[in-house]
Amino acid sequence: MTSMKQLKSKFLIIAAVIIFSSCNSGSKTTDVSQNDTLKNTTKDISVVTPNQQDSITNANELKTKESTVKTELSKIQIYNFHVTNRCPSCIAIEEATTKTLNTYFSKEMKEGRIKRQILNVDDDANKTISEKYEAFGSGLFVTQILKGKETTTDLTGDGFKFARNKEDKFIEILKTTITNYLK
Amino acid sequence: MKKITILFLGLILSFSAFSQTVGDTVIANNPAKLKVKVLYFHITNRCNTCMSIEINVRKTIFDNFKTQLDNGDIDLYIVNCELPANKVLAEKYNAYGATFAITTYKKGKEFKTKDMSNWAFKKAAKQDVFISELKDKINELIK
Repeated sequence: MTSMKQLKSKFLIIAAVIIFSSCNSGSKTTDVSQNDTLKNTTKDISVVTPNQQDSITNANELKTKESTVKTELSKIQIYNFHVTNRCPSCIAIEEATTKTLNTYFSKEMKEGRIKRQILNVDDDANKTISEKYEAFGSGLFVTQILKGKETTTDLTGDGFKFARNKEDKFIEILKTTITNYLK
Repeated sequence: MKKITILFLGLILSFSAFSQTVGDTVIANNPAKLKVKVLYFHITNRCNTCMSIEINVRKTIFDNFKTQLDNGDIDLYIVNCELPANKVLAEKYNAYGATFAITTYKKGKEFKTKDMSNWAFKKAAKQDVFISELKDKINELIK
């Protein structure tokens, strides 16, 4: 009888141990799995986050690039061409151009946005640039340089037409041309 | 008497030659028939480019449109815009310096003016190109 009791108690103890251990192991499994899930989630987030950060960074970079492109300022190059023996109109064009730039665009000149060159087409050193603009005598050209593209307005005719006897009109035309190219 | 006559004739000839090269040229033969008016204004002190434009314009008209000039289809004006006598004409065409313009007429009335000053200064040094392009332009406008 005693041995039966002892066996019962042993059985109960073993059963209790088994139940307890199985209960523990179950909770462990759950915890692990929960942890894994969390970990995975965290991992996922951590994996996603850098990507998101990357994509955010890329978007920012793009935005920056776009804004750089949008805010890229045009530059203006003005050429006053002349021959060695100059006529009054040719001289008047140069003087009126100087007056226009000094009066209305001194800031842009200082900043380097507007550059102006006075070139003698009879000088061999100016041959290439003269040929580019087909300037074989006096000439006034305003070139806008934007995103590597050049756009030129030929104001030679207007110069000869107005600079000497209607300077205000010529200055207005030149000022408008430059202002439009600066936009 | 003979010497005086020769001198007088000489003076007339030299004056006419002078007036043709330096003075104004206005050829307007039939206002009712007019289709195209070619105008070149210049100032008193002229540069080579300005002179070249005048030579090219004259050559284009006289070599290619002499008949139309004579019958009044085309008028030619080459005038000094600084002379008081030309003030009204110059102001009408905004010609305060060297200015090349072509005006078309329809039924005796002025229709449209095209300012070709920039073009003229660009092409002045290339006479062949100047004459060829101006000839084409006038042919297009005279239709």
